[in-house]
Amino acid sequence: MDWVAVALTEDVPAGVVIPSRIEDTDLAIWCAPSGRYHAWSDRCPHRGMRLSHGFVRGETLACIYHGWQYRENGSCDYIPAHPKLTPPSTICVPTYACTEADGVVWVSLHQTDSAMPDMGGRQPVRSMPINLSASDLAAHFGAEDFTTIAVVSDHDVLFAVQPCTDSACVIHALASPDADRSSVSRWLEDLRATLEGVPA
Amino acid sequence: MNAAIDNHWYPVAMISGIDAPRETLLLGKKITLGCEEGTCWVKDASGNALPTVERFGHLWTSPGQPNRDLFTIPEADSPGRRLVDVGSVKVKCSPLRAVENFLDIAHFPFVHTDILGAEPHTEVDRYDVKIREEVDEVWATKVKFFQPQAAKSAEGGITTEYMYRVPAPTCSVLYKTCPPRPGEWDVITLFVQPLTDEWCEVWPWMALYDDDSTMSEMVSFQQLIFMQDRSILENQLPRKLPLDPGMEVPTQADMTSVAYRRWLKKIGYTYGAQLVAA
Ligand code: FES
Ligand SMILES: [Fe+2]
Repeated sequence: MDWVAVALTEDVPAGVVIPSRIEDTDLAIWCAPSGRYHAWSDRCPHRGMRLSHGFVRGETLACIYHGWQYRENGSCDYIPAHPKLTPPSTICVPTYACTEADGVVWVSLHQTDSAMPDMGGRQPVRSMPINLSASDLAAHFGAEDFTTIAVVSDHDVLFAVQPCTDSACVIHALASPDADRSSVSRWLEDLRATLEGVPA
Repeated sequence: MNAAIDNHWYPVAMISGIDAPRETLLLGKKITLGCEEGTCWVKDASGNALPTVERFGHLWTSPGQPNRDLFTIPEADSPGRRLVDVGSVKVKCSPLRAVENFLDIAHFPFVHTDILGAEPHTEVDRYDVKIREEVDEVWATKVKFFQPQAAKSAEGGITTEYMYRVPAPTCSVLYKTCPPRPGEWDVITLFVQPLTDEWCEVWPWMALYDDDSTMSEMVSFQQLIFMQDRSILENQLPRKLPLDPGMEVPTQADMTSVAYRRWLKKIGYTYGAQLVAA
């Protein structure tokens, strides 16, 4: 598993941080005012607060608990309780490879040289959580690997799938540029109802 | 059975709130409690009576044999104070995380914005912390912080002075300068009932000099503050409190929390604590 989709870029505009996860790894995904995306461990080194509850200030991500600010490389830049102190360089949030392509934010939990999956010119429609594991979802569509699942449908849909737990994943759906987004969206909800076994 | 954990007094109810016998959890075990004809009782799951103390408006019990009396707060007995039962809040975190958050002032500007703190007044000056061996308690004194509205009775910003005291592993007492009575201390406590090692019931209690606010104003002020703290406490990872250095990074502002963790380790209080994986 190299690159995993964690969000659509339109859901993480500049200045915003959101929680996310890939299997057992909790992530804070944020977009700096510069437009660069970052995927960090969702745990502040100070007292363990989730950084996804924090806020973007300038080009830093600040923790909501005591306001410690972290630069884009993850190193601590400022400790409000000690404004005159230069934080030691050892105070650092673990960071992961993160980049944007085709309107999707991609994360790799390990170093990788591989390219982002090819979306074939499709455009993002929406993200949708579903109570089904990523591998069960792939099996349903007869796909070998869940990273991207091409779905034969009227809308030329492609799923970039984010595995979350043993019984949940998030589908980031893309479709051909001329597809009607609201009808794709309704089709997705019907699919979810069917797959989760809930009457639509 | 672990004496270092069981032989302490724990709060299990606000006495004024006991209308019928009820069940609750203490250290992961079921207990029942009730009050009849002015006397409160607590029983374990097998129906054995547990020791009780009624103090500070709360009912206390112990699953073990406490080797000392429940602590006292002499300041709270002075006349003219209003005793405020705040009620309770259940929080999905270790009881020790709840106490540690109560000992922390550096979060005021960010979590209790414009009430207990506000930017740019974020600096925490050095204060004194020690473990008072004679009484086996943690004390922090000369703690000072700028506050926009320190209490319901405060008008405008003032620098407030605090003292923190940890008289038992899941209890903390805060003494803070009292806006209407310079020279006296308001008393605010946090009594924490460990339901399990990752779930607690928090019973704040106050003994204040405040002649103007109504009881419900004082209660809602404290509840608002506590709701803000809960949004933090339920989102710290891990839920248990790491006692060994390495997992989290303290600074000088965290001297009280460092002493609290060290003291817990010294007395062997590991319930709700995360120790380095063996
Ligand atoms: S826990 Fe993040 S700044 Fe304290
Ligand atoms: Fe607080």
